[in-house]
Amino acid sequence: MSTFLLILITGLGLGALYFLVASGLSLIYGLMGVLNFAHGAFLTIGAFTGLWVSTKVFPNPTTWTFIAAMIAGGITAGLFALLMEQLVINRLYNRHIDQALVTVGVSLVATALLGGWFGFDARFLPTPLWFMKAVTIGDAIIPIDRFIYIGVSAILLIAMLSILKFTRIGLIIRAGVENRSMVTALGINVRMAFSTVFFIGGFAAGVGGVLISVFSYGVSPLMGGSWLIYGFIVVVVGGMGSVAGSAIAAMLIGVTNQFANYYVPGLGDFVVVIILAAVLLTKPSGLLGKVSH
Amino acid sequence: MLRWKYSRPLLIAITVIFAILPFAGDNPLSKAGLQQTMAVAFLFGALALTYDLLFGFTGLLSFGHALYFASGIYVTAILINDFNWHFLLAILGAVIFTAFLAVLTGSAALRTTGITFAMVTLAFGQAGHVVIARDFGDFTNGDDGLPVNADRLPDFFIGVVNTKYLYLLALGILVFIYFAAWWITESSAGRVFAALRDNEQRVSVLGLNPNRFKLLSFVLSAAMAALIGAAMLIVSGSASPRYASADITIALLLMVILGGPVTRWGAVLGGIVYSVLSTRLNVLSEGSAFDSLPSFIGGPLSEPAFTLGLIFILIVMFAPGGISGAYYRARFKYLNKGK
Repeated sequence: MSTFLLILITGLGLGALYFLVASGLSLIYGLMGVLNFAHGAFLTIGAFTGLWVSTKVFPNPTTWTFIAAMIAGGITAGLFALLMEQLVINRLYNRHIDQALVTVGVSLVATALLGGWFGFDARFLPTPLWFMKAVTIGDAIIPIDRFIYIGVSAILLIAMLSILKFTRIGLIIRAGVENRSMVTALGINVRMAFSTVFFIGGFAAGVGGVLISVFSYGVSPLMGGSWLIYGFIVVVVGGMGSVAGSAIAAMLIGVTNQFANYYVPGLGDFVVVIILAAVLLTKPSGLLGKVSH
Repeated sequence: MLRWKYSRPLLIAITVIFAILPFAGDNPLSKAGLQQTMAVAFLFGALALTYDLLFGFTGLLSFGHALYFASGIYVTAILINDFNWHFLLAILGAVIFTAFLAVLTGSAALRTTGITFAMVTLAFGQAGHVVIARDFGDFTNGDDGLPVNADRLPDFFIGVVNTKYLYLLALGILVFIYFAAWWITESSAGRVFAALRDNEQRVSVLGLNPNRFKLLSFVLSAAMAALIGAAMLIVSGSASPRYASADITIALLLMVILGGPVTRWGAVLGGIVYSVLSTRLNVLSEGSAFDSLPSFIGGPLSEPAFTLGLIFILIVMFAPGGISGAYYRARFKYLNKGK
């Protein structure tokens, strides 16, 4: 029972990290039809900013400096995403394949740039001491960092859903996901929504990058690439364009991955792709998919 | 007619010169190091062409092409090492196995289209990478890679002095794949591939089954990728999980875009240029070429991915059609100058 609880919560924690990567990907694809291969680079940029804040700006890590690192990571990654959207994506208006290709280029350049400046060895991101502790639930001993991932993701999920639900720009984004040409035809400026989606997606990925550096004990330019593939898988399983779908799919995949890995080490990654293939072949639009580009 | 009337003799002349150079006295290509680099580049040129058959000619954006390349490498290695097959038989076995694998995965993936198709093929490719890297079934030796048993290969493929024969093997495979791709794309099935890319609905209205032709294109390019994989095993001496990673497929995509899709020679040139650049830029960076620059410029410049990524972005944004596209645009302008 205690092992079950440990695996379950570890799986949920992993799923929370997947969600941070996938939510932005899902919104960007849903609204603009852009498969964003540079999303892994957003994550890495967030992680390096977090590293800079927690080592150079505030050398003594406390709870507050860690929160500052997360916010700084999110904002830098969000601004980078915004910059990419303005400089590159916007100029390839409605050339979807070219937009996807150019994000591949951006991701290569960003990874090489960070690698050239900081090297490819993983660097340790200092955290407050209490991150290393564990809590006891019943007879299960569970490391506390899992709860941090889940908590931060839950806050961002609620924030994103609120923006989508209660603000005007959120309304435009939701309408644009369902039928972009109709929104444009009504004379509403969708470009503003594009920029917002890129910033929100970049922000979530940047915060995710800082947390992933804690999860995997290091910051490296190559970290984005491996998480990006899981991001894609979560987005596709959850349904393109649906934030809630991404959240459900992320939890499903995180938990399944951990349980499969517990019984056969290494099986987790394989089971995840099998889930993906199974979902796509039975319901190609994903669990809660709205768009069919 | 955009094709220059001497382009075919020129292509044959270039091939012959490349074939002779390693044996013609003292020149850069008589050194084993460059021969090895060029052999790998020729194979990537051929592999880019098989990817172009899918992406450029048929309009299928696959992110799992590396799976069939890796399958060619690993099945050949396993058949030679564990089952003691003759190497030619092992290559044939690997190509047939890969074709079957492509029929299975392709017919599942082709139930979807567009970006979803890209994602399903990515998933199959990743599944293959996991199977190889985690070594399920004790065949692939996991992350350490799988060296081919050199005793089972002919003597003229072994040793540094014989690198020129590996070079010739790679050039031969490239020429073979080039002619195969030519034959396929100019055949009536090849016409249907192009029609599928341009207007799938029209093809089905004309009474042809789109999925059957897409599957044909998928399986043909997978089988050719397997053959190239087998040659890569002999040229590089061992199989490694990195050949199965999504990075290889993305590199293939970059090669095709760099050289320009749907022109055959564009993909080959893109593959060769990309492969040579990524190797030579690495060599440059290990030397002192960038030491005089300030480190915040010199650091990134010493990463091949930085330069290649930047070139790639510029091509997608400002020169769609890549190298061959630019050539045909210039030729079109030249031909219309008098009019």
